[in-house]
Amino acid sequence: MKSLTIAGNNLRRTFRQPSNIFFVFIFPMLLILLLGVSFGGEFKPRVGVYADDPGPMGEELVSSLAGSGNLEITRIQEPESVRSSVERGTLQGGVLLPDGYSGILRSGGQARVEYLLRPDQLGQQVRTSVESTFSRQAVILRAARFSSGETGISFDEARTQAAAVALALPEIEVEVRTAGETLYPEDRGRFGQGASSQLLLFVFLTSLTGSVALIETRRLGLSRRMLSTPTPARTLVSGEMLGRLGVALIQGTFIMAGSWLVFGVSWGNPAGAAALLVLFSLTAAGAGMLLGSVFSTEQQAIAVGLLLGLGLAALGGSMVPLEAFSDTMRKVAHITPHAWALDGFTALVRRGEGVDAIITELAVLGAYAAVLLSLATWRLRRAITG
Amino acid sequence: MSVQNILECNGLRKAFGDLVAVGGVGFHISEGETYGLLGPNGAGKTTTISMIAGLLERDRGEVFVDGMPMTTRSVRAKKAIGYVPQELAVYPDLTARENLRFFARLYGMQATDVKRRAEEVLEIIGLGDRAGSRVKEYSGGMKRRLNIGIGLLHRPRLLILDEPTVGVDPQSRNAILESVEELAGAGMAVLYTTHYMEEAERLCDRVGIIDLGQLMAEGTRRELVSLVGERDRVALAASGNLEAAARAMASLESVHEACPGGESIHLLVDQARNLLPRILEEAAKAGASVNGVEVTEPNLEAVFLHLTGKALRD
Ligand SMILES: Nc1ncnc2c1ncn2[C@@H]1O[C@H](COP(=O)(O)OP(=O)(O)OP(=O)(O)O)[C@@H](O)[C@H]1O
Ligand SMILES: [Mg+2]
Repeated sequence: MKSLTIAGNNLRRTFRQPSNIFFVFIFPMLLILLLGVSFGGEFKPRVGVYADDPGPMGEELVSSLAGSGNLEITRIQEPESVRSSVERGTLQGGVLLPDGYSGILRSGGQARVEYLLRPDQLGQQVRTSVESTFSRQAVILRAARFSSGETGISFDEARTQAAAVALALPEIEVEVRTAGETLYPEDRGRFGQGASSQLLLFVFLTSLTGSVALIETRRLGLSRRMLSTPTPARTLVSGEMLGRLGVALIQGTFIMAGSWLVFGVSWGNPAGAAALLVLFSLTAAGAGMLLGSVFSTEQQAIAVGLLLGLGLAALGGSMVPLEAFSDTMRKVAHITPHAWALDGFTALVRRGEGVDAIITELAVLGAYAAVLLSLATWRLRRAITG
Repeated sequence: MSVQNILECNGLRKAFGDLVAVGGVGFHISEGETYGLLGPNGAGKTTTISMIAGLLERDRGEVFVDGMPMTTRSVRAKKAIGYVPQELAVYPDLTARENLRFFARLYGMQATDVKRRAEEVLEIIGLGDRAGSRVKEYSGGMKRRLNIGIGLLHRPRLLILDEPTVGVDPQSRNAILESVEELAGAGMAVLYTTHYMEEAERLCDRVGIIDLGQLMAEGTRRELVSLVGERDRVALAASGNLEAAARAMASLESVHEACPGGESIHLLVDQARNLLPRILEEAAKAGASVNGVEVTEPNLEAVFLHLTGKALRD
């Protein structure tokens, strides 16, 4: 009961500050809006294309890859550097056209296209786009070859005709995309990527900077005073913990519900999303409390809090998507709870999976929470009872 | 014993690393008594009080509050204590009312009592009309009063005040001293620390003089003063035959010294107040006329100086 009194007091003090209202509620939503608008939601995978003297059909292929709108196409001079970039993860895909691509096709030969993908989510998106572009050209070529064989007109002429017909049938492409694995339902995806990243970034950041209140409580002698009342130290500690957790949960729920209602962001399986939020909030609360019991001045805590809050978010994929990281960096990223939680949200939202698919992520977050909360409890108790 | 001891502590010791902040302090406070711990900065007053209030683990010694043993984990014994820390331990971003209600809940009061008692205390500390303003908007004196008010919420048997008048203007200071006198008059035992000699003299039934973590002496003001044998000083502004007058006065019992000066006589006496009529009588008989009298009774300052060889305040 008394720990709830203490937690309630924490919440009251937190939300009484106008600056907190702004940073806890308004700012994250603004950022989700801003990111959604400026990046159109999806992160565009980068695909490197090697095409040396590909001829008109090759150029056509490259420009239709670029024109698909789903990919960012970069022309690369060396086939080897396409391969190594995809391996390192700086490119999400690579397409290598054989030299003299057009000539081979025109002569009715088989053009061997090398096509590299990363074995991850973005790789799937790349595959969908690249395959649809290729199959579109293949359809046109097949039609052209057929009609030039039947009617005797030149292959190039037949190809132009077929392309014109294909243009009039844009649903071919649409069909391929919807039948394939588009990453997000078209309209939901716009704000989706930003929302889970911002959720994690802000819940953690708020908790860390919220440690200032705990330090103030100690510095003003309020913790001592609380200990002078018939309230055991463990109740004081759990009260502080519940307070931090409350702030994190309120903020997280607000961002989830708000982004869903306002921007139509989907959070996937509700139980899974709730579990991720609760465990991540516990982790954030533990980190905030630890900071608040280790440091003795507000200035130190706010500096370290901002640094860690933004640094861990950046490292954990809350600023640049994990898919854009190299393999090594992605491994490193998983020292942050952010990366695990993001993996969880990715599974729920993009793959539409349920709680059972994110057990590992939940377990890791649970371990983070347990470790941080135990450390924080121990430190805070010591700080209070001197 | 007819009067129960509200506080009993013995052999309290606390060291921080090599520094022995408190080295074997013990005293007791009985019901309705006001006990003062008088000592300079760093003497160990706060450390002693922290052990008594169960805020600090002690190295040695024992504490009983209202018969109950006190440790940092004693919930029951803490109910009997109202602790008012030296620093302003109040939430600046909450109102006085919210501060009081919050701590009332921590003292374990029921919801209905919480509201009623908070209003009562607001009246006691004279903050009724500002109860809804945030504490950070208060004056220093108002914050001090709220700081004390929180310690009164649960009507403790023992009120512990750690230098409650530090940094307070004279008016608020007087108000604080008056309310302490009132509370003590109403039967609350009070443990009061200060480095102001006048406060200890005015408020406390008994005083413990503490320095370097040791209780140097303890007793009523009179006892302490007599302990060091300090005498009252009397300065008479006079004219006439001062030599003869001084000689006559010196022959009185209880007058230890009488020195005539140009226009005055300085005496060193026991119990100046009782002796003054007889001194004036002798002066008249010896043909000296007295125009002014100044009596300086030995005070705790002098006692402290005598005991420690240094002034209470540097
Ligand atoms: N937590 C601590 N760690 C280390 N030393 C401490 C600690 N608390 C007190 N001390 C030291 O113990 C001694 C006694 O301090 P204490 O605060 O009890 O003195 P005080 O009589 O209350 O002084 P003041 O009148 O300045 O409040 C001082 O030398 C102080 O520096
Ligand atoms: Mg002190």
